[in-house]
Amino acid sequence: MNDDKLLAKSEVIRVKDLTFLQRAYVFEILKGMFKAARQIFQPSFTIEYPEVRSERAASFRGRPVLVEENGVERCVACGLCARVCPALAIEVQAAPTELAKERYPEKFEINMTRCIFCGFCEEVCPEEAIIMSNEYELAFSSQQESIFGKDKLLKSAEIMKPRLDFLRDHR
Amino acid sequence: MDIRQQKILAALENKDTSVYFKDALDNEMVLNMGPQHPATHGVLRLLIKLDGETVAACVPELGYLHRGYEKLAENCSYHEFIPHTDRLDYLSPLMNNTAYVLAVEKLLGIEAPKRAQYIRTIISEMARVSSHLLGIGALAMDVGALTVFTWTFREREKMYDIFELLTGARFTTSFTRVGGLAHDMTPDVISAVKAFFDQFPEKFNECITMLNTNRIFVERLDGVGRISKEKAIAMGMSGPNLRAVGVDCDLRKTQPYLIYNEIDFDIPVFNDGDCLSRYYVRLNEVKESVKIIRQCLEKMPAGPVHANEPKKVLPRKEQVYTKMEELIHDFMLINFGVNPPVGEVYHAVEASKGELGFYIQSRGEGHPWRLKIRSPSFMNLQSTSMLVEGGMISDIVAVLGSLDPVMGEADK
Repeated sequence: MNDDKLLAKSEVIRVKDLTFLQRAYVFEILKGMFKAARQIFQPSFTIEYPEVRSERAASFRGRPVLVEENGVERCVACGLCARVCPALAIEVQAAPTELAKERYPEKFEINMTRCIFCGFCEEVCPEEAIIMSNEYELAFSSQQESIFGKDKLLKSAEIMKPRLDFLRDHR
Repeated sequence: MDIRQQKILAALENKDTSVYFKDALDNEMVLNMGPQHPATHGVLRLLIKLDGETVAACVPELGYLHRGYEKLAENCSYHEFIPHTDRLDYLSPLMNNTAYVLAVEKLLGIEAPKRAQYIRTIISEMARVSSHLLGIGALAMDVGALTVFTWTFREREKMYDIFELLTGARFTTSFTRVGGLAHDMTPDVISAVKAFFDQFPEKFNECITMLNTNRIFVERLDGVGRISKEKAIAMGMSGPNLRAVGVDCDLRKTQPYLIYNEIDFDIPVFNDGDCLSRYYVRLNEVKESVKIIRQCLEKMPAGPVHANEPKKVLPRKEQVYTKMEELIHDFMLINFGVNPPVGEVYHAVEASKGELGFYIQSRGEGHPWRLKIRSPSFMNLQSTSMLVEGGMISDIVAVLGSLDPVMGEADK
């Protein structure tokens, strides 16, 4: 159909402007039902969620994870993510280490009931150490469980490659 | 007086007592509508005094969703407050992000690059379309047409997929930044936007043809909830609700911000100020938004999306990893904030619900000393009692649906 015609301004149709057939209603209702019934033959728009899962793009902001390289996290415990976090969800405790980076997070906890998935921690991180993953299914049975320590947060850089590439290209 | 009452009176006459018979039907009834009523679009509570089915008085009670964002802002840096703006008008979060950063940029005296402004315009108009789609669908549902609601929701869902692709989240977008955007619009997002708006006009027309000549829909809205021009201005109405009473006031034309002065579009204005006019303003605004987005996509220049202001705008990640100066700026900006000059600023944009303004008072610190949000839904709701008084109780849902308030914004 012509796009200009579809986007032309619609004028108000009031009760007095309705034609006799429109006022009779029965034809209008049949027309409406016909239009609605046509939808049955359209392909289904929804997906059956738990069985079928759609792919998340690299730009998706799922739960934050810590990037692990050669078994060691990249994080140097500068605490910038904890400073910028609008929901105060991150707690970092630094400790010295023998490695070249000199500091590492002794304790790195994200309270996932507080996290709002804004991605600010990822944006300010000077070491590309904390990034947003594509995981979005989070359910806990207790408060304790919702506090993610390093054991749950660490992910290897190979798994997180799509997101890391996205950040390199676009941020 | 019937015989029974006469007997009681006679029995009482000997004693020192007075009797007063009250006619039950003489009473006016007070009804609570909300805060859990589905037609109040959130947690709005209406206290209604009813005379039969006619509304004698109405008092809207707001504040059930109050989260104290204005106070929270005083303890947030300018950057930290961006996610909070998502949660104001939660039907068009991208518009709030844009409005807030425009106010902060005005305070700082910086301007985002041209490409960022074009992208901001596109996302603002997309937010307007998605908000109006919900407004139209919910209004139709309130007056009894459920099918259209699911159809407009389907179109909205497609837009949310684009938002997810663009910003990383469907709902809590937090996409704009002071001096630019979180990141550039990628070519696949641009093609997704184009593809969506190629099929959208036809689908949208399908939705509205179901309503426009539907006798029940028209009769439920025609002449209902009428307000005069003077009263609407006096009550501080804005946005589509104000343009439905015949006031040709749109901040995109009167105080052009972003790149609206370079774009060719019309402001739909209708004169009657009833529910049907408000519906038609929204309907036509969707069509105008589609035109705006198409023009923006055509004219969008290439270039950076971040202003070159190292002391005010967060540095690019690549430079943070490799350069010392950018690393220092990264730390300074996050730890101490942008520190705008002492002063105050008000910036308003034409949001989907009306004039959304941010008033910021700065004392030169990293966080605002005071941040006032002029939320259009709050102002539009002031006139609720005026609109519903004298009408029927079943018209309240139509009036509320056509006002299209969002409680997240009204209660802040």
